[in-house]
Amino acid sequence: MNFAESFKIALDAIWVNKMRSLLTMLGIIIGISSVIAVVALGSGSEAVIGQEFESFGVNRLFVTTSYSEEITSRDRLNHADVDAIERSFPEVIKAMTISVSGSGQIKGRQNQDPISVSLNGVNERYNSIEDIKLLHGRFLVEADIKAKRAVAVVDASLATELFGRTDVVGERLTITSRSSMSYIIAGVYEAPMTSFSNIPGFEMPKTVHVPYTLLERLYGIGDRVNGVEINLVMEADQKAVVEDIKALLERRHDNIGQEKYMVFSAEEQLETVNRVLGLLTTVIGAIAAISLIVGGIGVMNIMLVSVTERTREIGIRKALGAKRKDILMQFLVEAVIVALIGGVIGTVLGIAFSFGIAWVIKIPPSTSLGTILLAWLFSAGVGVFFGIYPANKAAKLDPIEALRYE
Amino acid sequence: MIDIQGLTKIYDTGSIQVEALRSVDFHVEEGDFVAIIGASGSGKSTLMNILGCLDRPTRGRYVLDGVDVSSLSDPQLAVIRNQKIGFVFQSFNLLARVNAIKNVELPLIYGRVHKAERHQRAMEALDRVGLSDRIDHKPNELSGGQKQRVAIARALVTQPAIILADEPTGNLDSHSTEEIMQIFKRLNDEGVTMIIVTHEHEIADNAKRIVTFKDGAIVTDDRKTGISERYWPEEMAAGADSEVVVNSAAKGSAEALLVPEAPSGEVTQ
Repeated sequence: MNFAESFKIALDAIWVNKMRSLLTMLGIIIGISSVIAVVALGSGSEAVIGQEFESFGVNRLFVTTSYSEEITSRDRLNHADVDAIERSFPEVIKAMTISVSGSGQIKGRQNQDPISVSLNGVNERYNSIEDIKLLHGRFLVEADIKAKRAVAVVDASLATELFGRTDVVGERLTITSRSSMSYIIAGVYEAPMTSFSNIPGFEMPKTVHVPYTLLERLYGIGDRVNGVEINLVMEADQKAVVEDIKALLERRHDNIGQEKYMVFSAEEQLETVNRVLGLLTTVIGAIAAISLIVGGIGVMNIMLVSVTERTREIGIRKALGAKRKDILMQFLVEAVIVALIGGVIGTVLGIAFSFGIAWVIKIPPSTSLGTILLAWLFSAGVGVFFGIYPANKAAKLDPIEALRYE
Repeated sequence: MIDIQGLTKIYDTGSIQVEALRSVDFHVEEGDFVAIIGASGSGKSTLMNILGCLDRPTRGRYVLDGVDVSSLSDPQLAVIRNQKIGFVFQSFNLLARVNAIKNVELPLIYGRVHKAERHQRAMEALDRVGLSDRIDHKPNELSGGQKQRVAIARALVTQPAIILADEPTGNLDSHSTEEIMQIFKRLNDEGVTMIIVTHEHEIADNAKRIVTFKDGAIVTDDRKTGISERYWPEEMAAGADSEVVVNSAAKGSAEALLVPEAPSGEVTQ
């Protein structure tokens, strides 16, 4: 008997027991659909986070003192350190700025709740560190920094919230951070899209860029530097530069090997996030795989029932000249088809699920053809693995006994 | 066509050994029509299974159509079953899910016959049993007699060396029984070698030759001369009390039980 005949017989047997076959497939359907959905959402968010890092700046470093309590005033970063870094690595540094961050509140319109904002004190080079898309006006300029001018570059969504429009260049804005200060809006930038901004109820504070010199004076931090933002050129070896900067600072502060400074690189952060995401995908995927095993056991169970039910049929077939391998093939093909149909239905459902969830959390799902083929191959594998025992049991039946079976 | 020598079958059930066939010698010529008769447990079913290559003898030689099948492997036996033997069973043993023609095609599928040829040969076989108008009917849409005719067509379709019918009329009414026996006779007239296992003498009487089994051995082997039940004592037909009769027959006093004008054994037509 050839494969086409086995295939026809198997389809026929599955069709006769439609309901039972569907229930048998259920385990496989659930398993495959969850694997597909998890993988689609996992790689989808990986792609989104990758894009976010791109706009955030993948070549970005952040230098700061470590969080350890043993940091003395002698170890603290100062303006001279910043100049030294800039002087020492001119070929790899594209832009850098001292970063002073703070938070403040803006009185809302018409007695609404005050709006929290995060203040980002930077210099005029910052827009070549982070990808800031200006809609109106300008970014900070060197003169703003030097003169410690009270100018602000605001997020378009904040502008809309406060003024009901985005073109608010020249408007005044009072931000309370320790003390109230009135700023002139110099520029409006496009609100960045992040994967968090679409999750309902989760709101990131809007960032207002202001001259760092102004915040230094406002907070009275003097010569102390909390953090330095650096953007490296594309070709730079991030890991090497990180080590070089640490070494330079340790030499300058005479604390070599004491790990007083930390340099975060975007690349490293992205790797960490991807690692966590990958781990999460693996764990959920493993749980889904367990349901595939359960599904496989379901297939085996039903195939065993089917073999018993069809004992007489097996006897007839053997009497008429079916060899062991013909019977084995017939039942194996049936198990594989059940599993494979389950896999295909599961794939369709999984893609539907991932699109549904992705629509809610605004992540583009990404299902590759490779994933789908792998899922199908895997379900066929489940069919073979769990179908071989019942099929072999059928093939081994003694024709005389089988013909006598009632 | 069939040449069996010293055929012995022992069922080993662990503690006890049952000798189902005791060194049976049995020959069937091409074109013959043999009825094997005997009570249940007489060994006739065991012989049938071995003749049908569903089972192997413990000892002895079985040559079917020139092939010594006593020592063949399972797959080889499957091929022999497929090509040289046509089975007709008491309970028809048709596949319930498929229609008449597909049932008839089944042995050809295992014989790897091409689809178009398969269909044509199945049509011809159904025609030979007079069912060409029922090819699309499923078994549950056919009468008992029709089902058995489909089964006969299925047995015929591979043009086997022999047709083995195991109680072929056991589940049929008298009308269908007559119908089936007429088909068997006609097929035999057309040259098909037939072996029927039965416990009914009326059925056996349709054969050209009647072989009686008792305790795993052939006790009588007669060419039929056209006589009927008189030939067979009532006790024999009843089965349960047959022991007395056959014992005496086995002791060589069979003649005493037979009518004088019909001596046993060497009688030919």
